[in-house]
Amino acid sequence: MNLAALTNDQHDALQELTNIAMGQAGASLATLLDEFVDLSVPRIRIVAVIDLPPVLAELVGKNNLVSAARQSFQGYLRGEAIIIFGEPGCQALADLMGFEGELGEHGETELLLDVANVLSGACLGGMMEQIRKFTETTGSTELGFSMPSIMARQVMAAQLIDPGKVRWSHALLLEVNFTIQNRNFIAHLTMLMPEDGIEKIRGIIDEFIAAF
Amino acid sequence: MSDSAPSFNLAETVVKWVDVGIFVLNKNFEVQLWNNFMAHHSGRLTEDVVGKNLFEAFPDLPKPWFTKKVNTVFLLNNFAFISWENRPYLFRFAHNRPITGGADHMYQNCMLLPLKAEQGKPEAVCVMVFDATDTAIAQNLLKQALETISEISNRDGLTGIYNRRYLENRLSSEFDRTRRYGGTFSMILFDLDFFKKVNDTYGHLAGDKVLVEIAARVRDKLRSSDVIGRYGGEEFVLILPETPLDGARQFAERLREAVALEPVIFDDTPIRVTISMGVTEHHAGMPGYATLTHQSDIALYASKAAGRNCVTCYAPELEKLAAAK
Repeated sequence: MNLAALTNDQHDALQELTNIAMGQAGASLATLLDEFVDLSVPRIRIVAVIDLPPVLAELVGKNNLVSAARQSFQGYLRGEAIIIFGEPGCQALADLMGFEGELGEHGETELLLDVANVLSGACLGGMMEQIRKFTETTGSTELGFSMPSIMARQVMAAQLIDPGKVRWSHALLLEVNFTIQNRNFIAHLTMLMPEDGIEKIRGIIDEFIAAF
Repeated sequence: MSDSAPSFNLAETVVKWVDVGIFVLNKNFEVQLWNNFMAHHSGRLTEDVVGKNLFEAFPDLPKPWFTKKVNTVFLLNNFAFISWENRPYLFRFAHNRPITGGADHMYQNCMLLPLKAEQGKPEAVCVMVFDATDTAIAQNLLKQALETISEISNRDGLTGIYNRRYLENRLSSEFDRTRRYGGTFSMILFDLDFFKKVNDTYGHLAGDKVLVEIAARVRDKLRSSDVIGRYGGEEFVLILPETPLDGARQFAERLREAVALEPVIFDDTPIRVTISMGVTEHHAGMPGYATLTHQSDIALYASKAAGRNCVTCYAPELEKLAAAK
């Protein structure tokens, strides 16, 4: 199945949904990290899985190394969230541990997983909240999350995902700009979903548009 | 339907008996629920723990870290997870694989779940403790197996010292390390003299015995940081970290003597063996580790040309000699 691209209206609505959903994520991360965290307005789009490697390479920089955590979710939507940190992001988080006495106890891995968990929880959980508020969706809109794990460390962005091994064809790609301790870095949140999940999101977007 | 409904609370009974640890904490870290898994593994009965502060009941828990973890769930109203790969366990429980395990405690994965009314804020946090011991043991076995495979793939089958594959990798990493952090290292290339004659005179089994014996003699003389490997045929390489040229030359001289002093005994037959050696040292400005290989080769050739059973350090003027061969 080949999904048609989003219309401009649909894209704007999806962007709006994400903005609201991620509005809380900055505050959540600040709580988690005991540091002021600024999250700029995220950019979101739907990408064919086959295009993910070049798109990620372009976003992160072709020869830049990335580390990534993954987490599956199930329920109203199901899929796998992949949270990608470039070198500056990993460095910023690692430095944060050095500065913070209490965080120093955490392993660096644990911190990476915690941040990934908060990001995917805030993004997907926030979206579900908007769906409950603004659409006629009936039945349970609950989402469950499974334990996150490290997917890769220090690999080239283009090599992170092998489209040949992904059974689903499309992904929601979210780009989040962080500022922690006056340092800027970008994390990328990729949500791989089966086609019906993407279609479900398109349905939600249309309802969201109709509600306004 | 009502006839067949059980006379007890289904959910309560399942939570009580499910093979997963489940307990619930309020904001004061007082235990609200403590299921049988927790009771049986901790040896603390439900009625003994419920109503008590968790940290008073279990003083060994990592209090500051776990407090923060639970408070984050209250504040963020979001799931949280703890993996055995980062922290082997939350509660130090014995595990039930005393024979097949090889672990002295239960590995645990934990999931923290905010508990709340439909639209409200979390009022309690549920902690689920999963026994991940089987996974952890399997992963540790896999890790050991991979280490063994990697060790085997780096070894020369005949002599047991490192093989060429490992030597190339090691030279490359030693070269990079020295370029980045400074310091120096030396490389020695040596070769058994007239080895073909040994094979022709005494047979290939004798040749093999000579290779094994010489490798062992040289290995016994090494410092722990030195590396010896079989580069190919009857050629061997030594990598000597933090050793300047003169130290490497003296060391090579001692090795040469050790080899020449005692013949190798094969089937009661003494076989006289000598080695020719080429020595060189890393220098800033070398384009790559291949330069070291080349220089030690040139020096080795000079030793052969000088009558064998001797040590030569690389010098640029030796290049002409090699070119004329």
